[in-house]
Amino acid sequence: MTMDHEQAFVTLATNDSYAKGAMVLGKSLRNHKTSKKLVVLIGPHVSDQSSSVLHKIYDEVKLVDVMDSGDTAHLAMMKRPDLGVTFTKLHCWTLTHYSKCVFMDADTLVLSNIDELFDREELSAAPDPGWPDCFNSGVFVFRPSNETYGKLLQYCTVHGSFDGGDQGVLNGFFCDWSTTDITKHLPFIYNMSSIAIYTYLPAFKQYGANAKVVHFLGQRKPWSYTYDPKQRRVRGEIQDATPHPSFLVDWWILYSSEVVPLLLRAYGDLPFHSGCEEGVAQHALSSMTSEERKQKWEQGQADYMGMDSFDNIQKKLDVFLK
Amino acid sequence: MRLSRSLSITSFTGLPLWEEDNLPVEDLLLFEIAWEVTNKVGGIYTVIQTKAKITVDEWGENYFMMGPYYEHNFKTQVEPCEPPNQAIKVAMDSLINNGCQVHFGRWLIEGSPYVILFDIGAAAWNLDRWKGDLWSVSSIGLPDHDREANDSLIFGSLVAWFFKELTDQLQDKPNVIAHFHEWQAGTGLVLSRSRKIPMATIFTTHATLLGRYLCAGNADFYNNLDKFNIDQEAGNRQIYHRYCLERAAVHCAHVFTTVSQITAVEANHMLRRQPDVVTPNGLNVRKFSAMHEFQNLHSTNKAKIQEFVRGHFYGHLDFNLEKTLFFFIAGRYEFSNKGADLFLESLSRLNYLLRVHKNDVTVVVFFIMPAKTNNFNVESLKGQAIRKQLWDTAQSVKEKFGKRLYEGLLRGEIPDMNKILERDDFTIMKRAIYATQRHSFPPVTTHNMLDDSTDPILSNIRRIGLFNGRNDRVKIVFHPEFLSSTSPLLPMDYEEFVRGCHLGVFPSYYEPWGYTPGECTVLGIPSVTTNLSGFGCFMEEHISDPSAYGIYIVDRRFRSADESCNQLTQFMFSFCQQSRRQRIIQRNRTERLSDLLDWRYLGQFYMHARHLALSRSFPAKFKMTHLNFPLVQGFRYPTPSSVAPSPSASVHSTPHHSDEEDDEPYDEDEELERDRQNIKAPFTLGAVLEGKKKQSGQNGN
Repeated sequence: MTMDHEQAFVTLATNDSYAKGAMVLGKSLRNHKTSKKLVVLIGPHVSDQSSSVLHKIYDEVKLVDVMDSGDTAHLAMMKRPDLGVTFTKLHCWTLTHYSKCVFMDADTLVLSNIDELFDREELSAAPDPGWPDCFNSGVFVFRPSNETYGKLLQYCTVHGSFDGGDQGVLNGFFCDWSTTDITKHLPFIYNMSSIAIYTYLPAFKQYGANAKVVHFLGQRKPWSYTYDPKQRRVRGEIQDATPHPSFLVDWWILYSSEVVPLLLRAYGDLPFHSGCEEGVAQHALSSMTSEERKQKWEQGQADYMGMDSFDNIQKKLDVFLK
Repeated sequence: MRLSRSLSITSFTGLPLWEEDNLPVEDLLLFEIAWEVTNKVGGIYTVIQTKAKITVDEWGENYFMMGPYYEHNFKTQVEPCEPPNQAIKVAMDSLINNGCQVHFGRWLIEGSPYVILFDIGAAAWNLDRWKGDLWSVSSIGLPDHDREANDSLIFGSLVAWFFKELTDQLQDKPNVIAHFHEWQAGTGLVLSRSRKIPMATIFTTHATLLGRYLCAGNADFYNNLDKFNIDQEAGNRQIYHRYCLERAAVHCAHVFTTVSQITAVEANHMLRRQPDVVTPNGLNVRKFSAMHEFQNLHSTNKAKIQEFVRGHFYGHLDFNLEKTLFFFIAGRYEFSNKGADLFLESLSRLNYLLRVHKNDVTVVVFFIMPAKTNNFNVESLKGQAIRKQLWDTAQSVKEKFGKRLYEGLLRGEIPDMNKILERDDFTIMKRAIYATQRHSFPPVTTHNMLDDSTDPILSNIRRIGLFNGRNDRVKIVFHPEFLSSTSPLLPMDYEEFVRGCHLGVFPSYYEPWGYTPGECTVLGIPSVTTNLSGFGCFMEEHISDPSAYGIYIVDRRFRSADESCNQLTQFMFSFCQQSRRQRIIQRNRTERLSDLLDWRYLGQFYMHARHLALSRSFPAKFKMTHLNFPLVQGFRYPTPSSVAPSPSASVHSTPHHSDEEDDEPYDEDEELERDRQNIKAPFTLGAVLEGKKKQSGQNGN
């Protein structure tokens, strides 16, 4: 085995919540039979339990503690303490035992095999839906290199980040992305963010079925909802920029069936909140009055995956049919 | 469209009538409710309008259609009159006295049925209240922005109100049957049932809402039928409320029907109820008095198409027009739903086969599918002009020649043939011939397309390279406009054009019924259909060896696209190998199937549905005597050993077939026998058929 030619998917978890995302991401990559290695970078705040579960899913779990590194990153960090997480993410360029990597945020979910991304060159990424001349740094192809890493840190300390995060840094550094080489523009289906569903619904209807990676952008992450595994319903999902309901449910189905059992085992007797709740649905139903529900229909927002399912309508019809 | 057919003596001697007891129609009232009554929006109008005649014949004054009132439609299509039935008048007045408007009259179509039309706009002030009613009985709400859904609720509420007033007066006699078509009428059914109005209800869906959406969205529909989460799919497509209305009507109806076996499968998954009866769509078949008249019409109309081809392919007429077959596909421009993709691919393969077999047959394929165009293109018009010019030149030279010949004969001498034509005449003729030189291929489309570069048919033609080259045995003419008898290019109406063609090709992927191949059949033109079209399923069920009868059924349901493509290619290739005589025999057989598609037979499926609905809603009064109805058994006669195989199959061993060869005798009596063996009559197996069935079984042993 020649280490030089190994390739890997890389993600990052800075705390236990993002670790859940990384676990689901890893599972989704495995389920779609990736032939690549899986690497997760974790921060010092990730618990031992989460770390042990990540070990079960990932080939390599690498602790990144920028404050403790004592290297150039530490120096950069001291100059720009606001960019803490960004420095941790940039650390992925130091994975030089891989020849090429694809970085994926922990709040992404893979819907089909995407190994073909490794045919692309650094720095390939999909456009950001908010400003398509920038790439979104949730999914990108890169070549680990200590030289690049050093230049990136240098860039950070001099220019900072125009958006306060890694995306600003990377877009500043790879500033010719939007103009130079179209092959470095990944199709949007490799990083389809939820926002597109609301900003351009017809396109989503046309192309949404082709999506290969969904990116749960926005304030609320999949793990911050609760879920009823019996009804397969995510609760509290009526939010502005929430992803398409079915993707959210996909995330929860994978999480509740394949990740929660691992977490429960890891936590043993210790208290652990999985986010899966059962039997609370009835409260939600009664908490909304009949008139409110009718209004939801009239606004085109029937809860078709929940209380307005046709099964419930049929029960209502059967009252007079009997 | 009223179609004609000739009465041939080999027409099977009447399909046996259904033996179910006739309903006591004098003690019943039949209502048929549809959004398209007097109101043409889509295809349901054709079904309802053509079916009226046979229903009036059966029900007379006790049959009423109900639809929405639109002033323009009423003025142009309806003759107002007073209701003949007092109870109906009282019910109407009750609505009118409460501020609604209801109109009554005779619809001026064949059979002139009574119509009751409800003014939607005039009743719109009740909408909020009626939304509340719908919500309280079904928990279905309607979005404010969906005008059509809201209109359907107003319509349904008026219909249900009318039925309540009507049945309150009638009590138990006469009993009422209400037959609702499509989701727009379905709300009336749901509301009527919720108010426990005593009547028998039938709901017919002609396609499912969700199925149409899913197919249009390029889902691999038939392979995933059982895997769709239908609530979710409907919700994601923002048609959840419509889907709920449709499914609620299906759930509430005493009897649920749809138009074909394939749509029954679709309905079973998309609406979660197995249809009780399949009610196929029929046509009104007109009989010619002259025998084989349709064959004569074929040749006169074929001559017109040949004229067009002479012009369109000027300068490239190196193929024998007498050995040229005309294929066509027609319909709405839904590239993959209508199977144009499969067709083009198969044509490319057919072209290859005809070339390698050095076949002298040429196939000219017409695509009649309206797209956005910018009128005819110059090259096509020029072609017709050149043809006209040649014709005129020939006429004028002929006239001069004739005159000189005549004068010579008057003088008592045979003119010198070398001098009879003057130098001028040769000049005129040479000039005309020079004009036919062309440096480009004959165009593949007759019009300037607005979306030339992205048009799916043209893009695929470019991909497969069928550019009407000299070596191509398959030539393509894409006519992206409906046909018209006033066209300067191809002055024929659709019926004439179909009659002039040899084969209609409709390899549809989504086609709940499919009138196009049905029309071909009634006109005596063979056609290709698929087992995903309602028509194909119907024919597959009713005929054994359908190819012999000019009905080629491509398997698109259980085969891969590539296999279907090969099958279609093979169908077309073997069709090309038939002799002229075999094609004539095949057309005779095709035309004999007309009776299967006539409403006088297919209307019986509706009768059965009505009987079934009565037995379910008033079980004490109406009993079904024939419980084991043979409809769902899919019974089919095997191909009898005594019957010659289909002409298409018989030529495989003899590819080089001369037209004179008379290897397949055509005997009227044998054909009659063939029909008895091969065609399954709708509904019953009469005594004769029963006997024949046994006989053929013995032969087989």
